[in-house]
Amino acid sequence: MSDLRWVIWLIPTLPLLGAVATLLLARGERAAGMIATAAAGLSFAATLVAVWVLQTMPAEAARIESVAWTWIDVASFRVSFGLLFDRLTAVMALLITGVGSLIHVYSLGYMRGDSRPERFFAYLNLFVAAMLLLVMADNLVLLFLGWEGVGLCSFLLIGHYFDRRSVAPGIVPAEAAVKAFVVNRIGDAAFLLAIMLIFSRLGSVSFLPNATLGTPGYLERAAELAFVDVQLGPLGSIGVLTAIGLLMLIGVCGKSAQLPLSTWLPDAMAGPTPVSALIHAATMVTAGVYLIVRNHVVFSAAPTAASWVVGVGAVTALLAALSAATQFDLKRVLAYSTISQLGYMVVAAGMGAYAASMFHLLTHGLFKALLFLAAGALIHALHDVQDMRRMGGLRQHLPFTFRVYVVGALALAGIFPLAGFWSKDEIIAHAWFTAQNPAIALMLIASAAVTAFYMGRQVALIFYGQPREAHAAAHDPHGSMRWPLVVLAVGAAIGGVLNLPGVHWLSSWLEPTLAEPEAVYSVGKAVMAVVVTAIAVGGGYLGWWLYAHVVDGRIVPGKTDPALYYLGDIWRGAELGWGLDWLYDRAIVRPYRQCSAFLGRVVDGEALDGLLVGGTGRTFVALARGVRAVQSGHARRGLAAFLLGVVALLAALLAMTMR
Amino acid sequence: MIPTYYYVALGAIMFAIGVIGVLVRRNVLVTFMSVEMMLNAANLVLVAFAFARQDILGQVIVFFVIVVAAAEVAVGLALLMAIFRTRQTTNVDDMTLLKG
Repeated sequence: MSDLRWVIWLIPTLPLLGAVATLLLARGERAAGMIATAAAGLSFAATLVAVWVLQTMPAEAARIESVAWTWIDVASFRVSFGLLFDRLTAVMALLITGVGSLIHVYSLGYMRGDSRPERFFAYLNLFVAAMLLLVMADNLVLLFLGWEGVGLCSFLLIGHYFDRRSVAPGIVPAEAAVKAFVVNRIGDAAFLLAIMLIFSRLGSVSFLPNATLGTPGYLERAAELAFVDVQLGPLGSIGVLTAIGLLMLIGVCGKSAQLPLSTWLPDAMAGPTPVSALIHAATMVTAGVYLIVRNHVVFSAAPTAASWVVGVGAVTALLAALSAATQFDLKRVLAYSTISQLGYMVVAAGMGAYAASMFHLLTHGLFKALLFLAAGALIHALHDVQDMRRMGGLRQHLPFTFRVYVVGALALAGIFPLAGFWSKDEIIAHAWFTAQNPAIALMLIASAAVTAFYMGRQVALIFYGQPREAHAAAHDPHGSMRWPLVVLAVGAAIGGVLNLPGVHWLSSWLEPTLAEPEAVYSVGKAVMAVVVTAIAVGGGYLGWWLYAHVVDGRIVPGKTDPALYYLGDIWRGAELGWGLDWLYDRAIVRPYRQCSAFLGRVVDGEALDGLLVGGTGRTFVALARGVRAVQSGHARRGLAAFLLGVVALLAALLAMTMR
Repeated sequence: MIPTYYYVALGAIMFAIGVIGVLVRRNVLVTFMSVEMMLNAANLVLVAFAFARQDILGQVIVFFVIVVAAAEVAVGLALLMAIFRTRQTTNVDDMTLLKG
């Protein structure tokens, strides 16, 4: 059905048109929500059609390429404005438009009574368009346009409550937005350098050969550079692909909130909860993982870069999980949890388990969106209370929210047979058996235990124990806020079928694109799965038992966690995100502010304004001081001087003619 | 016939009176009258020379001077009225806004 190829252009265009229409035409919350939701839903429908078209094609050539025009044409630097819809893109696009549509529907209810609904929905649609452009771009420069686009929308939506001085755990929305933007710039700069390096060494930024422009594809030529070095002057030399991989890794660290650039994501929770669910859990933060998977050829040929990817991911997974275990803010737990789970995906992508990485990306998109939306339902029910110390015993009041939250929590904790079990286990098994890297595998298992612990803790703090505050009026969500939760809960529960061992639809679907050997299933892996699940169940039960029964009575709003007494500084360190914020504040933010203050006050104020501009003025004033006395302003004196002058002139003329 | 230098002498005297009037008197109105005196002294000399040299051009210039003087008086008196309305004075020494 090649005549339906144009459908792929509808996928990113519809949300873009939706954003424009919402901004220009929509007046009022209902109109804005309806236009935006319709655009997202139609985009999902277009994606389904495109996937169906893709599915009818032979597996080896299963991709739709379409070049609209030549975007940049400078000498040999030719960039097309073209889309590439292959099987990897299809997976991402389905997640973005599918979960995106559900979150649009949820937002209809969640944003009721908001002061700026048109803006919210327009930005949400713009985000979906930019994210789709990111995953559908057929070259790195266009991908970068989407990459920056989602960053911009993230900034705009984190700052949605820009007029509030502070929201839930004491974050200033405007500052959080700027922080997210600035931290992402660091990663983006490195990513841009990677693009430049790719172009300068491989002569193209297109992923695949582009027939319209006649440019080669850089991915198939990457392997040629495996042993070529790039000179760094006095610093020595480094393999080209290693340099590209490491620069991309920095970009990934920024966008996917990996250490050490992870600090923006917990603060990004200042945005509305649907935004946290869509952008900061399900889609945008996975862009980094997508980037690695898309460039898997580069990372496969650069083992040094790949091992850095694995290291960063594993450390992030563990440290962020520990941080999540210590938070009291409902959404901050989920934010750190997202960082941790992204760490899993990054580890998998670094180890070459691309299908496992994409699998975890998908299931995480489902259950984390579910958890965030359920958290949004809680926040709604409790009238903007996000501090878990002020909750407790809510399962009687909110039975529906309780049920979907537990489904999400079990899926995240990796309990059989929910979605997280299958995807997380595949990554751990790959680390242990295929990559033969027990250290990484043990870190991931430890993270899995901590993950289960903090979800048990969170469920206990919110729903079990004694009510620490009266929430008599709290009620479950209904209408548009209810059924997206049901859909996502079903997805989180049965999402594992996508890639069941032995069936692995996702792996074989992605196989032509990723050229990854099929995973082998052995008794060892099954034993491992049982052990990991047992550990997760133990961790989860410990968290639940500890907070629902042991320390239940000692949790007081505003007071520290009772567990602090057992773990002391480790707990405190985890709570503060391992001091990264403190470090950046001392090492970068404060020196920068002081430097700006110095430049503003001394260089600009004193030197430029004071000495150069003011000095010039003062010099002329001083020079004019003697001459000023002549200008007395007396007409008669002036005339007298004029007369004397004329007489003197005439006398001189007379004297000259007489001679 | 009256010699030309009589006229020229009279013109010079009138001009000197005008100059002294401008320099000495403080009332703006009198300053104007003195300026008119100087202009008319110049006119007198122009007419006298035109007559002596039998050249019509000198008399033509006089008409120009008269027209310009009339215009000058019209503008000057308007200014004077405006100044008097705002400052309640006709004393030229009180008008020192152009002091540097």
